[in-house]
Amino acid sequence: MNYENPEIPEGINVTPEHPLKEFAVLLVGVSTAIVVAVVALSLLAGYMVRFVPFAQEQALASRAGTLWQGVVLDEEAQSKQHYLQSLADRLSVHMALPEGMTITVHYVDEPTVNAMATLGGHVVIFQGLIDAVPSENALAMVMAHEIAHVQHRHPIVALGRGFAVALALSSLSGVGDGMMQQWLGSVGMVTSLSFSRAQEAESDLDALQALQQEYGHVGGAEAFFEYVMDGGHWLEPPALLSTHPGTEDRIERIRAFAREHPAVNPKLVPLPTGM
Amino acid sequence: MNLDLIVFLVLLVLGYVFGQIAEKRHFKSIIEREKALRDVLCFNERHIPDLGPADTTLVAGSVVVSIDYFKRFVAGLRNLVGGRMNAYESLLERARREATLRMKEEARARGATSVWNVRLETASIYKGARQDVGSVEVVAYGTARIPR
Repeated sequence: MNYENPEIPEGINVTPEHPLKEFAVLLVGVSTAIVVAVVALSLLAGYMVRFVPFAQEQALASRAGTLWQGVVLDEEAQSKQHYLQSLADRLSVHMALPEGMTITVHYVDEPTVNAMATLGGHVVIFQGLIDAVPSENALAMVMAHEIAHVQHRHPIVALGRGFAVALALSSLSGVGDGMMQQWLGSVGMVTSLSFSRAQEAESDLDALQALQQEYGHVGGAEAFFEYVMDGGHWLEPPALLSTHPGTEDRIERIRAFAREHPAVNPKLVPLPTGM
Repeated sequence: MNLDLIVFLVLLVLGYVFGQIAEKRHFKSIIEREKALRDVLCFNERHIPDLGPADTTLVAGSVVVSIDYFKRFVAGLRNLVGGRMNAYESLLERARREATLRMKEEARARGATSVWNVRLETASIYKGARQDVGSVEVVAYGTARIPR
C-alpha cells in the first residue's frame, strides 16, 4: 500500500469576499433595522403618553428637581415674574388650552438667551432673553411658542419617547459585547435627536395665531430670531443635530404668515420699564 | 461626536489594518512552511502499518490565535442576523494549519518521516461573562514514526 499526502488547493475554507464588503452590508442592514425599530417604538410611546392626565404630569413635575425650586425672588424679580405671568395668561386665552391645563411662568435672572417649557406646564424665561428682545411682541412670540409646547404636551411626549428609546436600547445589553452596544446606542440616539423639529414648527404656527389675536398683527415676532441670526450669541448646531428648525426657515415662516394676514396698523407694544 | 465613538472608530481602523497584515503574513508563512515540511507525512489511521523497523513517540503542536477588533465587530453583527461566519472561518483555518505545522516540526526534529493517528482539538477561550469568542486554541497531536 502506498501512503502519500496530496497537495490541497488553497482557499477551500476562506471566502474570497472582501471583509469590508461584508462589513458594509451588515452595518447598513443592522443600523437600518435599529433606526426603524426605534422610530416605531418612539412614535408609539409618544402617542400613548398623551393619554397621561395633565394632573399626573404636574404631580410628576413637582417631584422632579427643577431650576426654580428653592429660589427666593427679590421684589424686582417678583414684579418681572408677575408681568411675565400676566403676559402668559393673556396669550393663553387665545390658545384653547385643554381643561385643567395651567401655565406657570418662572423668571430666572441669568444672562442665558433662552426660554423653555417643561413638564407640568412650567415655562422658564431667562433675563438674557428679555434683554435680547426689542418689544413685547417679540417676547410674546417666544412665550406663546413655549405655551404651544405645553398645549401640545410636547414635554411629556419627549419624556415618554426618550424613556422608551432608553429602555429599548438598554434591553439590547444582552446583544453583542461592549463595542456593539456602543454602536447600537449611537445609532439609536441619532434617531431621537431629529424628532421634535415638526413639533417646533407646529408650536411656531400656534404662537403666530395667538399673537395675531392678541395684537391684531404678527409684526415684531421675528425680532428674536433676527437677533439670533445677527448676534451669534446662540451657537447654532448643524441642522441634523438640532431640534429646532433653522432660524432662517422660522423667520421665513413668520413673514409668510404676516403676508397672509396683512395688518391694518401694526403697532409694536414696548416692554414695560424696568424689564 | 463623542469620544467613545472616536476611540471605537480608531480601534476599528487599527484592527482592520493590522489584522489584514497579520493574516496575510501568516498565510504566506504557513504556505512556505507547509512546502518545506511536505516530506513529513500525516495520516489519521490508528494503526501504523508495518513499513520496517521503527520507534514511535507522541508529538504535538498547539497554537492560540485571536481575531482582530474589526473582525470581532463584524462577527458581532453577523451574530445578529446569522449566516456564514467568514471572520472565524479564516481564523480557524490558520489555527489548524499552524498547529499541524508545529506538530510536524517537532516530528522532524525527532527524525520522524511520518505522523500517524493525527487528531485535532479545538478550544475557544472566553472573555469573562460575555461569552464572546476572542481567540481559539487548536492542538494537533499524533504518533510520530521514527525509522530505525
